[in-house]
Amino acid sequence: MSELRKHEDLRVILPRLQVMSLLGALIFIALQARLCQLQILEGEHYTRRAERNFTDETVVEAPRGRIFASGGEQVATNRPAYTLFVTPRPRITVESDDPKKPPVGVRQPLSDAQIDEVAALIDFVDDADREAFITAIHAGRADERSGIYPMPVRPNLSWQEYARVQTRRAALGDWLEIRETARRHYPRGDLTAFLTGYVGEISQEGLASGVGAYRPGDRVGKTGVERQWENYLRGRLGKRSRVVDVHGRGVASPPAEALAALPPDEDPIPGQDIFLTIDLDLQRIAREAFADKPAGALVALEPATGKILAMVSVPAIDPNRWQQPIPRAEYLEWAQSPFKPFIDRTVQEHFFPGSTYKVVSALAALDDPTFDPAREITCDGFIKYGGRKFKCTHKHGPVDLHRAIVQSCNVYFYTLAIEDTLSLDRQEIFARRTGLGERSGLGINSEAKGRIPTEAFEAREGTYQRGVQLNSAIGQGNVNATVLQVAVLYAAIASGGQVMTPYLIDRIQTHDRRLVFASAPQPRSDLDRIVASDRNRVHAALIGVVNDPAGTAYSQRLPNITVAGKTGTAQVGADDRRRLKAAQGIGWDTTQDHAWFAAYAPAEDPKIAVVAFVEHGGVGADAAAPIAMRVIEHYLSRSADPGSAPLRPPGVAPALPGQRGDDSALPRGQRLGQRPGAVP
Amino acid sequence: MSQLGPPRTLLGRLARAIDWVIVALTLAILALAIINLNSASGSAWAGKVQTQIRWIGLGAAAAALVAALDYRVLYRLAYPAYAFGLGLLALVPLVGVMRNDARRWLGIGDFQFQPSELMKVILTLALARYLHDHGAAPGPRRLRRLLIPAALVLAPVAFIIVQPDLSTSILCILVATTLLALAELSLREMVGIALAGLTLFALGWGFFMRNYQRSRIDVWLNPEAYADNEGYQTIQAMIAVGDGGFLGRGVHQGTQNALHFLPYRDTDFPFAVFAEEWGFFGAAMVLTMFLCLILWSLNLASQARDRFAAHLCVGVAALFLWHIVINVGMVLQLLPVTGVTLPFFSLGGSNALTMLIAVGILLSVSRARRAGA
Repeated sequence: MSELRKHEDLRVILPRLQVMSLLGALIFIALQARLCQLQILEGEHYTRRAERNFTDETVVEAPRGRIFASGGEQVATNRPAYTLFVTPRPRITVESDDPKKPPVGVRQPLSDAQIDEVAALIDFVDDADREAFITAIHAGRADERSGIYPMPVRPNLSWQEYARVQTRRAALGDWLEIRETARRHYPRGDLTAFLTGYVGEISQEGLASGVGAYRPGDRVGKTGVERQWENYLRGRLGKRSRVVDVHGRGVASPPAEALAALPPDEDPIPGQDIFLTIDLDLQRIAREAFADKPAGALVALEPATGKILAMVSVPAIDPNRWQQPIPRAEYLEWAQSPFKPFIDRTVQEHFFPGSTYKVVSALAALDDPTFDPAREITCDGFIKYGGRKFKCTHKHGPVDLHRAIVQSCNVYFYTLAIEDTLSLDRQEIFARRTGLGERSGLGINSEAKGRIPTEAFEAREGTYQRGVQLNSAIGQGNVNATVLQVAVLYAAIASGGQVMTPYLIDRIQTHDRRLVFASAPQPRSDLDRIVASDRNRVHAALIGVVNDPAGTAYSQRLPNITVAGKTGTAQVGADDRRRLKAAQGIGWDTTQDHAWFAAYAPAEDPKIAVVAFVEHGGVGADAAAPIAMRVIEHYLSRSADPGSAPLRPPGVAPALPGQRGDDSALPRGQRLGQRPGAVP
Repeated sequence: MSQLGPPRTLLGRLARAIDWVIVALTLAILALAIINLNSASGSAWAGKVQTQIRWIGLGAAAAALVAALDYRVLYRLAYPAYAFGLGLLALVPLVGVMRNDARRWLGIGDFQFQPSELMKVILTLALARYLHDHGAAPGPRRLRRLLIPAALVLAPVAFIIVQPDLSTSILCILVATTLLALAELSLREMVGIALAGLTLFALGWGFFMRNYQRSRIDVWLNPEAYADNEGYQTIQAMIAVGDGGFLGRGVHQGTQNALHFLPYRDTDFPFAVFAEEWGFFGAAMVLTMFLCLILWSLNLASQARDRFAAHLCVGVAALFLWHIVINVGMVLQLLPVTGVTLPFFSLGGSNALTMLIAVGILLSVSRARRAGA
């Protein structure tokens, strides 16, 4: 059997060969059907996936818009900086289990040891800082989807950190890189702290809300204009795409079809530049005037427009500090400081307006048809009501409305309150008509609303007594107002009775100087104008406060400018005294009253309204008035024609337009319901 | 053809002696394969590609030599060659060259080759001879009749499986089974063999397979779940194939290939490279050419003068068929990932040499058919 036979009869195997041929053909048809499915039917899908493989899209940061003061001075700008990026799930090369295969690239999360190695390169301000750094990388490592991209972990590297990372980079691997970025810089530091606000890393909540498509590590406005106008300042990210190979490296000469498949590049659109109405010079003067005051605030605005000229709150923290990590101990010190350096005292906190509120009381009283402003009420230094003694500053003797304002007599207003001329309802109407009790609409730093007591409110609170009405009449009790609100109120008196919406943004431009937005003065048309004759009567009294020898601010008058104003000395509420202990250690007498001075000048044609507030500063005329006067003097003397302000001997009350400077010349009699045109 | 009369010149006789169908198909496939291999390894005509071309030259010479032999010489050489092959395989664990944790190569200086590759053809020779000698024998002792071919197959497989090289072992078994299927086994016997195979597989799965081999099945069933690790190559191969579309991206223009997203482009996945760059048109064309080669060898089997020749043809056809089915099936995600090469397309000298010798056998058998026709 071991020899080949000649011509064996193989017909028996023919059917099997045929079956084999058929099976072979069927198998090949199956393979080709699968090819057809993948290449023709689903080809588009795989082409997209291939494109996703080789397309590397990088985001190009858009420079943040800058912020300028009215003179074009930069108050927030950008500086080059270095940011450390880490890829928490890098692709690395490992030996494969299969001995036949070469090593393969796999995604492997960073090990704890690697994270510690990076952490060792950074100068942390304290342990909490280090903790946050490591937690962020851990979070990135746990995220399988976005963990494969580099994430910013440390902005604004110092030169030492930069050098350290650069020397270790090669040893640690590709997952560590330094990119050139921008950091925010505030050239004026704490002078504009609350105006500009500051930027910081977006919070987890902000990211989670999904608003505005932010990425982890993005820096967003946290307070001030930076926050309020974030959408204008932010700019739009650009996109660059390139063809990369499997290792993520750019390819010098990629296949032409790959190049054609790349999405088009988009240039970043820089953020828009914001021009503030702030007069930086005036801001500086105001800040300097607070040099010896631990806490206080000042708002200066243009009465005719509501344009804010200066806005100062002390103390303030240099916003540049927030661009670096802050040691926990220092942060706690700020947070627990009795001076509350985080609070913008111009808008964020309200206080008793004290006697500055008497303007509202006067306007309310003048609204009462039975009220005679010339009627004299005798002040004995106190008045007894409901078994309580309501005190005045001292014994004023007989005073009418004018003298009551000039000399700031409380008994006069107490009496009106007792007589119900100054009912809570009437006070409320006029408080609201002058912009108190609601947000002024400036829009930055979460403005407080202030508070105006109403009978309904008092009844609800169970605190309603006639005493409340008395205290309200002199800006105590439950009356609260922010510094900005008081400024808006005095600006309205100055401009003739029209409340304006204050504004801080003069205009917004694109980076190539196209105008995006320009502010126009916005009168509060929803609020009734104050009747002109009432306004004039109050105006005259306010001039008297500074210029009448009996006026409370007579000592602070300016030699060549007629200032109209009102002092205020707000008694400190009970809960404020609780801060006493905390403040005693640092030499801040918190038993002192809050000092106010609200003013505008020149009285003949008001160009500026200023409210200065010194927290626990004592008497308004002594603590607050000099600050306001300095700001007014600086502003007006710097105007185009400083000589335009009339010189006049001190102590002589100036004449009002159309009047002879004599109070008796004021029209008397009924005025309720009078409209401006109906003045006799 | 005999009516044309005997050819007068030597050249004319040579031209008649050559089976041009096989030669043309092989040359066409080789040309496409070399172009593709060059594209898959950087389009530089350097290094690996040059080595491969040298191997193909060597293989062509070997094929010519084999083709020149009368296949009856092969019949006589079958058992000695088997002994020689087994000897080489036995040498591998002793003096073999280690690469990537596997000892598969025998080396003489710079020259290295895998005896297991050559063994595929030698096994075909030995089995063909055994089935020729005993296949037609009548008799009731079927089981004993199966024992010897089983031993013929399992002896080299045992050596190969410990290298370790699972894919070549499976391939040997598949080729042998195909040959047995031709050898007039009854349906019952074939079912018995299939059952035995399955049992062996299950045992192997349970006791001998390594974890990486087992996890391949999971990866095959759900590659997207392992997209970053074990499933990466499967997915990238599918993307490469699909990206080709109908007409393909053009040679070295496929991004999956040129930008190296596809791993093992020159060894395991050259077909994915080809499918991406030549499209459905090219890939279906190459598959059709392979199918023609296989069908042609089955056709040769049907015209063979004896069982030995028929079994040789079927063995070579099976060798090609199973290589192609397993490799292309893997690329198209119809089968799990294994290291089975695609004839001529995959980088590997021993494999190219073996497959060309197999083609030489076909040519030799074809010549004998003509001679006897």
